[in-house]
Amino acid sequence: MTDAAPTTAPSGRRRWPRRATLLIQYLLLQPLIIVLCLVVLRIPSPEPPSRYLVTDFSLRENGVERSVTLPHFITSRYTMRDPPLYSGRFDLSGGVPHGAWSVFLPRFTNGVEVAVNGVVILDSRRNPAANRPDRNTPEIAVIPASLLRNGANDIAIRLFVWGPIPGFLDRISVGPDAMLRPSYDARTLLFVTLPVVISAWQAILAVILGIMWAMRRHEPAYGVLAVAMAIGVGQAFFHTPLEDSALSRLNAILISAAPLESAFVLAFALLFFGWKWPRYGWLIFVPGLVVAAAGLAGDATLSRDAFLLVGAPTVGLYLIALAVVVGHSVWRRQDAISFMLGCALTIVLTCWALDVLSVVQIFPNRRILFARLSYSAMLVAIGAALTWRFARALNQVDGFAASMVVKVREAEDKLKASFVREEERARAAALARERTRLMRDLHDGLGGQLVSIVALSERGNASAGIGDAARAALKDLRLVIDSMDDIGGDLMLALGSWRERVTAQLRPHDIALVWRAVGPQGLPVHPELRPWHVIQIVRLLDEAVTNAVKHAGARRITVSIETTGDASGVARGRITIEDDGKGFVLAPDCEAGAAGQHAARGLRNMRSRAARCGAELDLTSDAGGTRVRLTLPRRFPDSDAAAG
Amino acid sequence: MSVLSDQGASQPISILLVEDDAPTLWRLQDALATAGFHVTSAATLAEARASLAQAGPKVLLTDLQLPDGHGNELIRETRLRFPDTEIMVISILGDEESVISAITVGATGYLLKDAFPTDIAATVRELVAGHSPISASIARFIVRRTQSTAEAPPGPPLNTARLTPREIDILWGIAKGFSYAEIAGHLGLSRQTVPGHIKNIYRKLEVHTRGEAVFEALQQGLIRL
Repeated sequence: MTDAAPTTAPSGRRRWPRRATLLIQYLLLQPLIIVLCLVVLRIPSPEPPSRYLVTDFSLRENGVERSVTLPHFITSRYTMRDPPLYSGRFDLSGGVPHGAWSVFLPRFTNGVEVAVNGVVILDSRRNPAANRPDRNTPEIAVIPASLLRNGANDIAIRLFVWGPIPGFLDRISVGPDAMLRPSYDARTLLFVTLPVVISAWQAILAVILGIMWAMRRHEPAYGVLAVAMAIGVGQAFFHTPLEDSALSRLNAILISAAPLESAFVLAFALLFFGWKWPRYGWLIFVPGLVVAAAGLAGDATLSRDAFLLVGAPTVGLYLIALAVVVGHSVWRRQDAISFMLGCALTIVLTCWALDVLSVVQIFPNRRILFARLSYSAMLVAIGAALTWRFARALNQVDGFAASMVVKVREAEDKLKASFVREEERARAAALARERTRLMRDLHDGLGGQLVSIVALSERGNASAGIGDAARAALKDLRLVIDSMDDIGGDLMLALGSWRERVTAQLRPHDIALVWRAVGPQGLPVHPELRPWHVIQIVRLLDEAVTNAVKHAGARRITVSIETTGDASGVARGRITIEDDGKGFVLAPDCEAGAAGQHAARGLRNMRSRAARCGAELDLTSDAGGTRVRLTLPRRFPDSDAAAG
Repeated sequence: MSVLSDQGASQPISILLVEDDAPTLWRLQDALATAGFHVTSAATLAEARASLAQAGPKVLLTDLQLPDGHGNELIRETRLRFPDTEIMVISILGDEESVISAITVGATGYLLKDAFPTDIAATVRELVAGHSPISASIARFIVRRTQSTAEAPPGPPLNTARLTPREIDILWGIAKGFSYAEIAGHLGLSRQTVPGHIKNIYRKLEVHTRGEAVFEALQQGLIRL
């Protein structure tokens, strides 16, 4: 619950002055509201002109007859039999009037039966709304013209009183219907129609809150309030017959509605304002249940006493508890919801106190009860609070979405920037690595050949040697450039260019090149193949060809390219270079023997290059020729570990 | 060789050789003249244009970096004015950058500056016979371009949209070092048809006019209007 309103959470001592100011404002506002309530409630309820009032009656009660003046209170009783009878008269000295005449009873507790000239014209017990003591239902009845007679007319009123509160009969009016009805209509609007409208509003609230709770089960406060609202609606719309019957037992439950409803509202406030649910919190429902039990188990007397003694004080107590809870919330959360609810509560509490005073006849006020009516202030406050909260939640969602968009964009930008940075760094690193490699490759090949050209040119008489060296330098330059190209791990593409270069190299020596590639694919594709692998392999193959040309005196060189499966069935490429030259003798330690120092260095180079690529080199040589067999690795190594 | 020389003598093939480096020019000129070709040489773009003023040679051999301009201008002009002239680029390294850009303006092959004299003559003779030479690295460059990639590959622009799958297969074979006979065997072709395919490939890679270049770029989705 608290997490739903995080912005109102207190944060530190420096907010104390502001909070104190707010609380003082709140506390000052409450007496103002009370005074305002008192002023408003003192406005008299609509009454017809005083010349139509009939106030002097003779009351016969329990066989005793006495003279009384309305308004009149009468002691509480618990039987419908032999009700108190008020007998009076009104004068039609001017003759029977032309317009309709009515009897208007602005307020009575609990039921009336009105007879004119001995004929009953009104029985309020048939009007369920009029039976409710908490509603200030007025009654009006048109006197049939045939009943009226010139001179004095009798009017008799039986007042049915059912406890526990004392019976009451306000001043009645008898006069032209046109004069009486406006006050009756005004009172009906105020005390009958308005409560119905409020109850309808309460029903809507019950539905809204119920849906809210159904959708948000983790917030039981809404469910609790929905139950409270539903009880209120039930209490307002269910009417039970007055007679002692099985159904009238249900009346007890309706009587227990008010304490139950107030208990639920209190529970709602506790949950809603983030109070820790007290360990014996459920005890707040006990009074309501006691009243209900008394109504169901005991007789009407017990039930009514239970309500008066337990129910009504409970309602007051809970209203006070509510005021405390809401006041605390005003202090702690400083939000509009607490403020509104608090003010509404003060109104209800004031009206409730006035009603109690009225019922116990300390402050009679002609028994107009306002508690139920003032409850509408509470309902309006609840509705407003709900709407306010809903709107704020929507705003928060909007704000959250907007801030999320901003945050996501920021994160995206950051990520993009860091990605670009990372990419640049990687590119720079790759470039640096390539430059290093290129330098080394150029140094290994081109550099040496150019130095050799310089040396040869200084000797002056070795132009043929210069040509060879320069040609070799160009060839190596092409190899280096060629190896920079992306060949997508297909070594065959590098060998294609190599074949062209070897063909050109062999043509002046009149040596035949036989190229045997098995299948259109030739060698397996190695995605991990890097330019430096290609250079090592091509230089190795160059070395083999150069040896065959220069030292073996070969007439024919055969290059075979194939893919073989190794022991574990993995495809491995194999390149074999065979010549028909005179061969050389291999020492036991695989070093070249008598074939010359140059060839020996060449062989050593070949072994080193094969090792750097993780390839296996197999050399066999005899008088019939030399065979260099290079078996490519399953996977080319990532780093040039053997380079150092 | 003597037979070929006789052929050259009976029907001299005219060659315009454009090369600004004097020793290289002498070397190429010697190699071609020895083989029986009728060689006219030029050291600059202006000289070459002057030579082209009268009639087109059978073969144009040109360097790309010339003192007064780029060889590609000469190739384009020659291609427009003399469609029957065979054009080759003289390149030091035979690198894609220079050769491909020359191909797109109308060249149909390249000659390495350090090639052996016999190879120089043989290449030109094959060119005249309708066999456009193509190297493994050039073929590799072209087929790499046929594989569509998200971002523009480095190097000169090249439109490979008009190449047929068969032509691309032939290029793959050349890139991997297979001979024409081997390629023909793998693809089930007659060996004699392979050079024709290669010539077609060159023609398709050529961008004839500016308008055509824009049209093809549109078709390939390289540019959007």
